[in-house]
Amino acid sequence: MTTTDVRPRGRWVRGVHRTLTGLHPALESVLAAVVGLLVGAVLMYIWGYDPWRAYWALLRGAFGGDYEIASSIARGVPLIFTALTFSICLRAGMFNIGAEGQMYIGAAAAVCVAYFQLPAGLHLFVGILFAAVAGAVWSLGPALLKLTRGVSEVISTIMFNWISRFLVFYLVAFVLVDPRQAQRTVRIPVSARFPILVQGTDLSYAVFMAVAFALLVYVVLWHTAVGYEVRAAGLTPTAARYGGISIKRTMLLSFALGGVAAGLAGAATTMGLPPTFAIISGLPELMNLGFDGMAVAMVGRNHPIGILFAALFFGGLNAGGRVMQFYGSNPVPLEMVRVVMGAIVLAMAIPELIRLFPALAEAGRGLARTIARRKPATEEGA
Amino acid sequence: MSQTSNRSDTEKGDGYFLRAEGISKIYSDGTVALRDATVELRPGEIVGLLGENGAGKTTLTKILSGLLPPTRGRVVSPRGQVKFASPREALDFGIGMVHQHFALVGTFTAVENVALSHERPFVPLTLSATRERLEGLMAESGLKVPLDVPVEKLAVGEQQRVEILKVLSQNVNLLILDEPTSVLTPLEVDELFKLLRRLRDEGKAIVLITHKLKEVGSITDRVIVLRKGAVVGDVQMAEVTKEELAQLMVGKEIGTRAAQAVELSTDAIPVPISRHKEEAKRGSGVLHVENLSVAGDTKSKAVDGLTFDVFGGEIFGIAGVEGNGQTELVEALTGLRPAMEGTATIHEKNILGLDPRQIYKLGVAHIPEDRWVLGLVLPFTLAENAILGVHRWEEFRGPLSILRWGKINAHVRALMERFEIQATGPSAPAKSLSGGNQQKLIVGRELAKDPAIVIASQPTRGLDVGAAQYIRDTLVEMRDRGRAILLVSADLDEVLALSDRVAIMYEGKFMAVARPEELDRQKVGMLMGGVGVKG
Repeated sequence: MTTTDVRPRGRWVRGVHRTLTGLHPALESVLAAVVGLLVGAVLMYIWGYDPWRAYWALLRGAFGGDYEIASSIARGVPLIFTALTFSICLRAGMFNIGAEGQMYIGAAAAVCVAYFQLPAGLHLFVGILFAAVAGAVWSLGPALLKLTRGVSEVISTIMFNWISRFLVFYLVAFVLVDPRQAQRTVRIPVSARFPILVQGTDLSYAVFMAVAFALLVYVVLWHTAVGYEVRAAGLTPTAARYGGISIKRTMLLSFALGGVAAGLAGAATTMGLPPTFAIISGLPELMNLGFDGMAVAMVGRNHPIGILFAALFFGGLNAGGRVMQFYGSNPVPLEMVRVVMGAIVLAMAIPELIRLFPALAEAGRGLARTIARRKPATEEGA
Repeated sequence: MSQTSNRSDTEKGDGYFLRAEGISKIYSDGTVALRDATVELRPGEIVGLLGENGAGKTTLTKILSGLLPPTRGRVVSPRGQVKFASPREALDFGIGMVHQHFALVGTFTAVENVALSHERPFVPLTLSATRERLEGLMAESGLKVPLDVPVEKLAVGEQQRVEILKVLSQNVNLLILDEPTSVLTPLEVDELFKLLRRLRDEGKAIVLITHKLKEVGSITDRVIVLRKGAVVGDVQMAEVTKEELAQLMVGKEIGTRAAQAVELSTDAIPVPISRHKEEAKRGSGVLHVENLSVAGDTKSKAVDGLTFDVFGGEIFGIAGVEGNGQTELVEALTGLRPAMEGTATIHEKNILGLDPRQIYKLGVAHIPEDRWVLGLVLPFTLAENAILGVHRWEEFRGPLSILRWGKINAHVRALMERFEIQATGPSAPAKSLSGGNQQKLIVGRELAKDPAIVIASQPTRGLDVGAAQYIRDTLVEMRDRGRAILLVSADLDEVLALSDRVAIMYEGKFMAVARPEELDRQKVGMLMGGVGVKG
């Protein structure tokens, strides 16, 4: 340790180290996004695409005009919900990977409103309620398994994802199917649809529900006793127990609230997604939104307000990526956008890695010592 | 290669295996753990390392086994000075340590665990060779363990034997055991001692860390007594009585807190512990405990049939070496651990089986033993921590369970002023506070409940003199205002100075309950070491 102090390079390295570890969380996210885009640019260059033109197309496709901006926001809406699912549970100290499956169930429940008639506003409200309750109920499976049998929620939510996936495949193909259009379910009646916000785009009033729900989550977590308990239990369970907080209760609550969020994602992608207002066979409109939500949650630093911005960014990447793949003579495939997303998620870990840097350096020196010491011993043995 | 050269060295050497010369250790927070300690360890000898909590036993052995570098002083062998950068290097040199908490992989068998300890990067692992070696060792030492059962299925005594085998398999010449008997049954203790004697006769040096006087008498050849970081005695067991040892261990009189955890700053003048002037005005009974038994994590009965009362206007102190059931007792009384049998009431209302918040409602304040694990949510702000446990009280909660941060912040500012908490404001994270201020925050939060009884567990541990003093004064003030205080502390000076009645706890039972004036330190030392005193 003392040897590095005298080296001028050591001081420089420590300066960078201090700067990076002292960054504001929001700046860390921005840094990660920049790193992710750079990695994407390098890969595009290696494979013979022109990164500048590609990113220009991406930017234009994401935020180049009213239509593009509306599309980006629309793609961000379900991500807000699924990111909240992940974040609420993470704040309570659990890794809930189940947003994907809970969203499928929520979407299927929302489609059920097509089978009865109600006045316009009420019909919409009942549909939202259906989706929320269905998502919450589906999340109770893993929650109860954890509370009663100690099953890791990571494992059980992934298993529940598969169950719900094929269950909804089945429901879409055989139960909720439209007799005239076998490739999709029955359409949600006009009285239960979110009104379209920008005509000609798929942005509907569901965006207001998403923003309102994010604000609600913020208020619950940071301004109510229940949210206080959830956060305390997530950060230091022993101290929470000392404070008279029932960990089981906070776990159950956060899972249920997360399930509601995922269910609402299902509602937004059916009742709020023109032009089909139905689930298409194979769930192409839903697939992976739950998992992308986890990336959004990480970039949004698991804070409801941060998630709003991160979802807009990821929505822009998705919307712009579609434009990018048709742009120019040598278009960049959509997969490259997913590479960028992956790189961003990995880059989110950089500040944490740098925080670990002294420990890693120490481990490296230890390994070097071991190898150096072993050498004479092996020579002797041989 | 190392073991052969070591052995010849120790045999032909100057009669010692290892000598620590003038060792001082000052931790980065300013705690002086060891001051100029010199000890010599010779082959063929069992040395007892005796001392209270915080006397420096563990620090000394950590330095000997390479876990910690000394601040001053050196460790020498007959071949010259030795420096260990890691426990692995110490092990290569022939020094092995068996920790109180075993370092075993529960799902591995004994063979696999031992093989793991031999594992080096990029060297192929051969289980069959390890097995052969273990079987040889078992035949040689008479130490028998099942080799093919996952160690988590073994009894604690057997696990300890695996741990000892693991160390022996490295051809150690110096074996350090940290409180080896604390988890064993009496029969297992006998077996262990037989083994240690056999190892000694083979010429190994053995160091036994303990606080049990009885054990020291029955097994050791020589005793090194540490007090407040200094070696205060280094005597042959044959030449000393238990009484003399007890006196060495706890010191002569209840004096100043000069030595323990003195701050290094120049202006740190030792402050005498406040001794309340007024005689206790004992009020009515607050806490009544009858025949209470509590299970521990490893022991079946950590608290064993305790009966006692704590009255308003008195401080009831529980002294004793840590790990004798104090933690479990406090946890049972505060709703954190279920009791096995017995009753406990506060103002004649049962508290066993209630959750912590219900117990707080009955007027209990709990200053927990570990402020980082129990007392605080470290990433939370001061304000958030200040309402832990009282966050559902009416004054902090509006309609719809909305927290009234304005009122909470005002409450925190009042606490900061009254309890002299140094912090930038209510929104400073608790982890940014110094240990003393963190503890003051906990004390403030708990006393703001206006409790009928304060259960304070190690309330001044690790604090600088000023903060410790402040907290002691606060407890005395609460007592003078007619509150009941149950004080659990491993700091003997503190318990004796503050308490109106003292119980000395040993292996889950009270050895004695007396007024502090009726106890002298020798007597307390004997009782803490498990030796009963008559008359």
